[in-house]
Amino acid sequence: MTPSFELPLVIFTILSQQAIGLTLLYALRTAGRSARPEPSARIQWLASAGILALGLVVSLTHLGHPEGAPRAVIHLSTAWLSREALLFGLLVALMAVTGFLGAVRALVIAAAAAGLVALFVQGMVYAPPSFPAVNNALPFAFFLVTAIILGAGTASWFAPQDRQPFLRRILVGALVAGLLLFLISPCIWLSGGAIMRLTAVAYFASTLYWAHIGVGLILPLLVVLAVRRIPVWLPVLLLAGALCGRLVFYVDTVHSAVNLGGVY
Amino acid sequence: MKKQLGFYVDAKRCIGCFTCAMACKNQYQQEPGVIWRQVYPLKEEIYPHHERAFYSLACNHCEHPACLEVCPVDAYSKRPQDGIVVHHQEQCIGCGNCIRSCPYGAPRFNPVQKRAEKCSLCWQRLDAGLDPACVASCPTNALTLIDLATFADPGAVQFPPGFPKMGRLNPSTRFRQAELPKIIKREDVS
Repeated sequence: MTPSFELPLVIFTILSQQAIGLTLLYALRTAGRSARPEPSARIQWLASAGILALGLVVSLTHLGHPEGAPRAVIHLSTAWLSREALLFGLLVALMAVTGFLGAVRALVIAAAAAGLVALFVQGMVYAPPSFPAVNNALPFAFFLVTAIILGAGTASWFAPQDRQPFLRRILVGALVAGLLLFLISPCIWLSGGAIMRLTAVAYFASTLYWAHIGVGLILPLLVVLAVRRIPVWLPVLLLAGALCGRLVFYVDTVHSAVNLGGVY
Repeated sequence: MKKQLGFYVDAKRCIGCFTCAMACKNQYQQEPGVIWRQVYPLKEEIYPHHERAFYSLACNHCEHPACLEVCPVDAYSKRPQDGIVVHHQEQCIGCGNCIRSCPYGAPRFNPVQKRAEKCSLCWQRLDAGLDPACVASCPTNALTLIDLATFADPGAVQFPPGFPKMGRLNPSTRFRQAELPKIIKREDVS
């Protein structure tokens, strides 16, 4: 099992989480308010659908035979990847319909709920027994935190001025949570089995890992705390940091087969 | 118990000659870099002796195969008559999910076909009354074919050190562990 960057999957997972994050943040910041959608709701929802659709198209390029992609939904009984393909296909349609219908409240809630389920399913795809370090709820936690960070950042481009403080608070909370999660997880792996320890060592030795921590989490946190708003350029920095973190996830999470004949 | 074929790896007999791996390669002519059977030397932390011991490993034809469960296009099946896990390569779309998910690294990516592939336990040879190529080639009889329904060696182990313990998958490979040689030094002889 040779580790690889899996760039199409890196881009797909990040873009899909950004789209879901936008959806979740819209549902959260409009909850309990008047039924009137935000002025930019339509463009925001269509942007979410577009980002997710772009991610899905990019994901096809990692297949040896992309023409067979429609068949990827036939093994729903046990394959999380089939469930992921189906759910994300439905989600992009739901986001587009929500956009075209002007963010009807029921559709907003349905899309947010479907987004959360999709994140869970995506987490399960990346939690097979062959990667002991992430054969647990960590992929879902990583993906959820990434979705909220990217969602809050990107939503600042669309949300009206009176809802910016809410987005800033969510972003600060998610950045702190992400910082703790991404720093503590490898430390816990150090106390695990041989493959987990190898994963932790690989993460700590990775420039991309520290780039994610520094550029994707600490720097944005300091900026938001200092200027008390989300600068217009910050989502780009968040996206770059998230891409670094996801590359580490794909390249440095160690597969159990690398140490056959050695301690597991 | 239903018939379930598997490999019996006798690490006490294996001399690490790689004949099994070569026989597999000769039989199927895989692309360069695509390996269905590999011989792994045990690391010193497990076998602390200057002579090495080995595990010859391929697909374990698990009772609950990860590859079969995760494949989105249902390109794997388990033969009801003998439990062999068969990969139907023509159905594979090359997503790599089985390669990532098998803890033993059995499925490999064929860069020419752009699809996964793995050890078939030579089911075509078995159906023709022959042994798998690797088993037939082993010069020390260290690699044999067993049926778990009738196999009853109390000394055999399923998860020896150096082989990831994945109880839920229930791999069908069984092992006889290597033993450290008894070393007699001059000072031991009175």
